[in-house]
Amino acid sequence: MHDDAQGGFAPQADAAHQEAVRCADCARSDSAADHLRPVDHMPIPAEALLGFPDGVPRTSRYNRRAFLRSAAVGMAAVYGTSRIDWTRAFEAGVAEAATGPTQVVMIFLNGGLDGLDALVPLGATDYSVYQAKRPLLHRALGPTTPERVGTTEVPGTSGLFGWANPLVSGTANNGDTKGLDTLWGDGLGGLGSDLALFPAVDYNPPNLSHFDSREYWFSGDLKKLATGWLGRWLDAYGSMDNPLQAVSIGNSVSKQIVTAKAPVAAVASLTGGQFAIERTSTNQIRPVDEIGGLAAVPAGAGNAGLGRSRSAYAQSVDVARKVSSLNGGAAAPGYPNSSLSNRLRTAASLLGANVGVRVVTIDWGSFDTHGNQRAALDPQLRVLSQALAAFKDDLTTRGIEQNVLTVVFSEFGRRIAENQSGTDHGAAGPVVVMGSAVRGGLRSEHPGLASPDRRGNLQVTTDFRSIYQSLIGEWLGGDPGRILPGGPFAGFSASLLA
Amino acid sequence: MSTTTARSAAVRRRNTGIQRGRRRRLRLPAAGGAQRRMTEAMVDRMYWRAGFGPTDADRRAWTGKSVGSLVNWMLSTPQQLEGTPAVRADGSPLQPHASDTDLVLTWVDRMARSRNPLVERLTFFWHRHFATQREEVSPPQLMTKQNGLFRKYADLGANPGATFTDLVYEVGEDPAMLRFLTGEDSTRRLVNENYAREVMELFCLGVLDDAGNPNYTEDDVRELAKALTGWQVNDDNPDAAFGYFTRSRWVDGNKTFLGRSGNFEHRDAVAVVLEHRSHATFLVRRLWHEFIETPPDPATLAQLTATYLRGRRLKPLLERILTHPLMFESLAEPNKVKPPVVFAAGMLRQLGLSITDDRVYTALRDMGQLPYSPPTVAGWEGGLTWLNTNTTLARFALAQRLVSLPAKAPEDIAGEAADAAVTRAHTAVGRPWVAPATRGALVAYAGRAPVARSQDRDVRQRALRAFMLGGPDGQVM
Repeated sequence: MHDDAQGGFAPQADAAHQEAVRCADCARSDSAADHLRPVDHMPIPAEALLGFPDGVPRTSRYNRRAFLRSAAVGMAAVYGTSRIDWTRAFEAGVAEAATGPTQVVMIFLNGGLDGLDALVPLGATDYSVYQAKRPLLHRALGPTTPERVGTTEVPGTSGLFGWANPLVSGTANNGDTKGLDTLWGDGLGGLGSDLALFPAVDYNPPNLSHFDSREYWFSGDLKKLATGWLGRWLDAYGSMDNPLQAVSIGNSVSKQIVTAKAPVAAVASLTGGQFAIERTSTNQIRPVDEIGGLAAVPAGAGNAGLGRSRSAYAQSVDVARKVSSLNGGAAAPGYPNSSLSNRLRTAASLLGANVGVRVVTIDWGSFDTHGNQRAALDPQLRVLSQALAAFKDDLTTRGIEQNVLTVVFSEFGRRIAENQSGTDHGAAGPVVVMGSAVRGGLRSEHPGLASPDRRGNLQVTTDFRSIYQSLIGEWLGGDPGRILPGGPFAGFSASLLA
Repeated sequence: MSTTTARSAAVRRRNTGIQRGRRRRLRLPAAGGAQRRMTEAMVDRMYWRAGFGPTDADRRAWTGKSVGSLVNWMLSTPQQLEGTPAVRADGSPLQPHASDTDLVLTWVDRMARSRNPLVERLTFFWHRHFATQREEVSPPQLMTKQNGLFRKYADLGANPGATFTDLVYEVGEDPAMLRFLTGEDSTRRLVNENYAREVMELFCLGVLDDAGNPNYTEDDVRELAKALTGWQVNDDNPDAAFGYFTRSRWVDGNKTFLGRSGNFEHRDAVAVVLEHRSHATFLVRRLWHEFIETPPDPATLAQLTATYLRGRRLKPLLERILTHPLMFESLAEPNKVKPPVVFAAGMLRQLGLSITDDRVYTALRDMGQLPYSPPTVAGWEGGLTWLNTNTTLARFALAQRLVSLPAKAPEDIAGEAADAAVTRAHTAVGRPWVAPATRGALVAYAGRAPVARSQDRDVRQRALRAFMLGGPDGQVM
């Protein structure tokens, strides 16, 4: 229901609550840098995903036809200062990929996730404040009942937190065998403890506007910079040839990776290359197989036109089959039926291909739950927990999980007190970093609910830039001081990594 | 000359309806082709190659009639649109000058609805020949005006005396072309060679002659460019834009090119170009290849060239080409790839649909042929290059979309045998050419497909229709 094929934002039906900072940009809640126009559209050939078994095609011109030996499985909208040479782009990508580089996936939850109904404060004082401030919405202790969604204690947090059950595995919870609880493990930072949790991340003083807050998170500064924080990292340490080093999954590039000069890309999908008939299911028909049969009919000698047609369809069938296998399919089961899954599949294909991807950004969801929060939030939490677990499995199957950190964040948390239907804009939301390379567990301080700020919001314990700082300094490589103005930032102790 | 006399006699005989014997026809293949009675497959061929595919009404009207009668009708019937005009998705009329999507769809709509299809087919040919890009030409009204110019030289019923010479004259003074090839910036102070080069290289002569020698030199380009100076565009009223000549901006003085000297202005200069020995064969080949896959043999080329040079009218030349027996080569297995525009407009005709949203526009872009947006001044490369692994997907996607429209929802017939399902699907999509082996594969699919529920049967019908139109066999004509 919140999961439409386009991934667009469904505006809230309910009118703003009196206290709500109900701004125009609530309806336009993603990280897309829409003011930018691509300088080029670079086809991604099937061979790229297969690692260019026959070498990168050489072409002296930006000539799509000359460049493509078989087919584009997707199209990269290229952003940056000038048009790029496709051959050089892919050669740079192949060279980069050969080093097995570290990779980061940024998943932005549109609209401001309500951290408190996702990661429920279970400490004795906290829970009573939570319950009192949220008479309608609050989660129950223990299992979910027909009346109220329950919680599952998060191990290793000394009883401070409980997952809202839609985040947890099990038929009564997210409906799957995996979820945030299985990724979390014992929460002690060792083997199988693959989620790092930062419960109250934001900046001081918090700004409750979607627009301003997102700008800060995306640019990595409390002023509105023209470039994104990852964009500046790319300008300083990235490639000047390969736009696929940083990819936003979607139709436009995320503000996080807007650069001053380095090329970056937006890729909507790698599944465009499929024969499909609308309103059909795979147990009714597999068009690719039928067209494969039609394309195999031999054409008469000397009939170049018909011969070309049948051979072009045969090649398309071949590519379509390759792409489906690359995009997981049977190899990576467990993705829920969701646009988030489609984006994560595309991300996994790109991360696993030898094209030099270092950064992927994904926007997803509709978390601006001013109204009707109970119905709006839980289905998305279920999908999120299933999809993250499936994504990790997918990366493992591709043999690259150890190279990838996945960061899940939103532009702010929500008000402690409910508005009788939902929650209004707040501060200090949770950030989660996933990966076997990360030191899992509760990694920064929980502010508690007893002493909120003067507007009734959680106190910020962790500056979001402290996490960026570690991602740059410890993971992607580079001097955070060159990228993040005003640092260093205090936020959490010790290393992000295990 | 005796061949000329014989041909003129043949034309007279055809016009007076006098039948000639088989022996005579064999010696005059072109005229013989004109007398031939058409099978349905021949009518289909004529409508695909000289139009956008047949409707059943077209087949009924012409099957059993002679090739010449159809060609004569196409060459002498002014344009008339039929059917329902295109609308936007919200039901409002297209606004071609408010949206480039609508500009394109306005034309595709004409293609699909023109009773005499040759008019739009030739209009499109001229657009590809004198390729002009909307991206470089504003306001969009200029493209519409140029489109009207091309149509004037395609509607031979309304303009039977049309010559290529007049067309090139008008193109050189056309606001869109003056803007696209920067003729409007070419003055005696700053002569630019843009149009001068293309008028020889792409529009009239080609770079090399048949022997492989250059048709012109760089000096010729420079000198010709001087003659073409002085033209500007007045678009104060975009709906009535025009090109105009300002003598003071023109290079006033002797110009020498292609072996001729004089104080030429635009039309004088173009006339010199069109006197070039390579012009006639250049134009004849271009037009021939628009309709026929196999190149003309030297004798045919010579005949066609002679026909053209006798008055330089387009109509007699087109009549010769369209009645040539090679129009019907490989009839049992079509051998020419449908250009995307022909494929798309053709499907609208096959399915009896009118345009009701911008899907056809998107599909044309994905198939690689957006009218008004040729990739270069040389137009589209076309031919076999139309089909690759991207464009085949785009073609199938459009076909499946159109056959899945609610208006085309198939009747649900429980217990329908596989063969009957294929026959019904074939009829529903206008009985296109499907190879016997392809039909066998479709029957096999239909026999394999689940049919227990009505939605299964719906899928089977739509799939069969999509395969016929959007599969490999649907791409040739």
